[in-house]
Amino acid sequence: MIRFLGSRLLRAAVTIVMVVTFAFVVLRLSGDPAQIIMGADAPPEAVEAFRAAWGLDQPVWIQYFHYFGAILQGDLGRSMRDGRDAIVLVAERIPATLALTLPALAIKVGLGIPAGITAALHRNSFIDRAVMMLAVAGFTVPSFVLGLLLVLVFAVQLGWLPSGGQDSWRHAILPIITLGIGGAAVLARFTRSAMLEVLGQPYIRTASAKGVPWRAVVWGHALPNAAIPTVTIVGFMVGSLIAGAVVVESVFSWPGVGRLLVVAVANRDLAVVQCVLLLVAMTMVTSNLIVDLLYGLLDPRLRNQPRRAAGMA
Amino acid sequence: MSDMTLPAIAEAPPRAKRALPPPMVMFGLVWLTLMLLTAVLADVISPYAYTALDLRNRLSPPAFMGGTWLHPLGTDELGRDVLARLIYSIRMSLLIAFGATIIGALIGTTLGFLAAHFRGFVEQVVLALVDFSASLPFLILALAVLAFFGNSMVLFICLLGLHAWERYARIARGLAISAGSQGYAAAVRQLGASPWRIYGRHVLPNIASTLIVSMTLAFPEIILLESGLSFLGLGVQPPATSLGSMVGYGREYLTRAPWILLSPALTIVLTTLSVSLIGDWLRDRLDPTLR
Amino acid sequence: MTPMLEAKGLVRRYAMRRGLMGRSVEVRAVDGVSLSVERGRTLGLVGESGCGKSTTGRLVLGLEAPDAGSVSFQDKPMPAPGTAPWRALRSRMQMVFQDPLGALDRRLPILAQVQEPLDIHGIGEAKDRPARAIEALRAVGLRPDQAARYPHELSGGQRQRAVLARALATEPALLVCDEPISALDVSIQAQVMNLLVDQQERLGLGILFISHDLRAVRQVSHRVAVMYLGTIVEEGEPDAVLHDPAHPYAQALVSAIPHPGRSGQRIVLQGDPPNPADRPTGCAFHPRCPVATALCAREAPVLKPRRGDGRLVACHVAQGDVAPAVTQRAA
Repeated sequence: MIRFLGSRLLRAAVTIVMVVTFAFVVLRLSGDPAQIIMGADAPPEAVEAFRAAWGLDQPVWIQYFHYFGAILQGDLGRSMRDGRDAIVLVAERIPATLALTLPALAIKVGLGIPAGITAALHRNSFIDRAVMMLAVAGFTVPSFVLGLLLVLVFAVQLGWLPSGGQDSWRHAILPIITLGIGGAAVLARFTRSAMLEVLGQPYIRTASAKGVPWRAVVWGHALPNAAIPTVTIVGFMVGSLIAGAVVVESVFSWPGVGRLLVVAVANRDLAVVQCVLLLVAMTMVTSNLIVDLLYGLLDPRLRNQPRRAAGMA
Repeated sequence: MSDMTLPAIAEAPPRAKRALPPPMVMFGLVWLTLMLLTAVLADVISPYAYTALDLRNRLSPPAFMGGTWLHPLGTDELGRDVLARLIYSIRMSLLIAFGATIIGALIGTTLGFLAAHFRGFVEQVVLALVDFSASLPFLILALAVLAFFGNSMVLFICLLGLHAWERYARIARGLAISAGSQGYAAAVRQLGASPWRIYGRHVLPNIASTLIVSMTLAFPEIILLESGLSFLGLGVQPPATSLGSMVGYGREYLTRAPWILLSPALTIVLTTLSVSLIGDWLRDRLDPTLR
Repeated sequence: MTPMLEAKGLVRRYAMRRGLMGRSVEVRAVDGVSLSVERGRTLGLVGESGCGKSTTGRLVLGLEAPDAGSVSFQDKPMPAPGTAPWRALRSRMQMVFQDPLGALDRRLPILAQVQEPLDIHGIGEAKDRPARAIEALRAVGLRPDQAARYPHELSGGQRQRAVLARALATEPALLVCDEPISALDVSIQAQVMNLLVDQQERLGLGILFISHDLRAVRQVSHRVAVMYLGTIVEEGEPDAVLHDPAHPYAQALVSAIPHPGRSGQRIVLQGDPPNPADRPTGCAFHPRCPVATALCAREAPVLKPRRGDGRLVACHVAQGDVAPAVTQRAA
């Protein structure tokens, strides 16, 4: 178990290092940071001074280590727009993003998983068809279209809810629904296929053939086994909470991390972009780690197996 | 053996039922054909140039909402014809999605084959890259690249091409290794065939159906990504137009002129729906092992 | 005259890892094998699965490079796998596989696959190649109309014939057959073996025939080598080795063949089947050997001619160096 934990932690660390390296490489490839930050018409002396101040005149690998060291100390640079620390800017926005994404996650899980299970248990019934139709719709309707349709109906036509902004809890309702419904559809579809897969297994047939009550078969055998793949997708959803909020926050002008990222990209505010990138990577890696550990708990067979099977000799 | 075949035959009918009902797939095929024709014939069928202004008919509603047949789907606030813009947006979005899907399949399959052929260090590098791209949501990665490099059409298509490359790489590597360890690829190798012949003439045709199914599954995702990024103003830049940027633009006029965004939004939904239906159907037909 | 194919002291090691963080264990699949195949002759290689006979076949063909030892073919050293000279040499040496369905590309008709070696090595005019391929198919007893079929449309025996036709299309000098008949029905096995013998006469083929089926080996071979855990333990004329084996392992193998009229003599090996990752000291066979002595556990015997009849055998007891131990078996 310790070895299992160790290898997972190692993977997580490698991923973070790769993300940092990615940011560094892309930053260097994109052009001379001094020119970009100071502007094309800055006097050459000023650019030189900037280079010296930021260590940009040193060899690339030394810059890389400096860069790494700075990130380890939490120094992620300053926003070019208002000169504040990027990390502070991002941290300020996190609560707003969580206020949308956590309730949305609750909707996804609370709606998607039961819908998927119900559909699988009543396969080819009306419920199954309805759930699948909705699931396909949820997958194919992009969140910005769904969001704008909700605004059109509930804000513009009916006038029940505000269309954007963050002044009261009522402003959060439409974005939460937008985020939640799409994810619930994906989750329902996934849970259904995981359940169907498990229900087709010989041990389920054996259990019901032996006379175990169907309810007990479902609760005792099918659900725990179907939970394993479902945990993965839920973990992925947790990991991509911020990414998922990017578009919806923009639709509803919600001042969260996602909106910050879009504005930063449009303005090429590199420090902020890099900070969000790291934040997303950390969230993703952490949730992957938790999923891996849950896997170990749910399925003892996987505990000592490398997830990526090594080539057979 | 003979007692094994009986249950397999008995189980066949429920399998067939699982395929999506053909009418839905037919609808998908018809819609997709329509979209392709629109894209190819855009210059012929478009009633106006997509940048042409008609300042006397600004924000004119569509014909079925009380507007004139001069502009069947209405106009925007500069008097540009929504139908013409829609036609050119379809062309742009499909062009990007096709280009990106093909780039992704090419990159992924090539890297997968390289990993399978050389094994060792090359394989470890490819697998590390696969892990890396699977560890970050693609939208965030795309946004970061756009922030760092700025935007251009070529970069944008290539960037979207990176979406899902790791899926092809995984498939290509796995299937090539299993074919090479003892199967037909090993047999052809010991006939003296060059790697080009082994992978081009034997492995690729054998795994093509799996790759094609993956492409039909990635295609709608790329359309959604493109339209999402363009909606945010970070994808296709004016004066060029795509389905996503039309929706993003029309959003400003949601209260006064919802028709500006409704037709591109509907087009996005129907197109992704069609390709998804076709993809699911193909998957059931060609490659039931893929999930 | 040197033999057409000569392999000396072949060693092939694999690193096997246990778990993600586990230390890698060295596995010696082949541990010092020397053999030779002459023109028009067949060497049979027998042994149980996992003894390294397939790896030996791959080393002999140069599909893998040995970690030690050398292979020379027609007096020239084997080029490194994957290089241009190595690829060119493929037209001279070919392989027949155990699973013909797996060895054929299921997306191409038989004709294209039999023609492929001609295309690869640029043999003959491009327009004549289909005719040559059909000729090759005819030579193995397939009809020209079957050339347009796909592998799954043929029976197992027909597929193996097609594989053989492909292997013989370039008229090679050496053929390595790795369990060529074990996936076939018994009635088909004899046909394929007769076909092999016919083709050997026609083309003067040297054949390395790898199999665990002693009777098949005896039927086609001019010499037989018995392998155990990566080494050859006995080698000689098929009738001699398979009638009167000298090595205790060979004796056990031979006694396992059911014989009408002979009963009760079957030697049942004790102990676990061999694990190449955990090789015993001394003679690899000693933990399972009914006559093993203290010397056998200490010192590995070498393959050398036996006093008297000159049979090649690697066993202290059979060589008369020590007296056989008498073991009491709980049975």
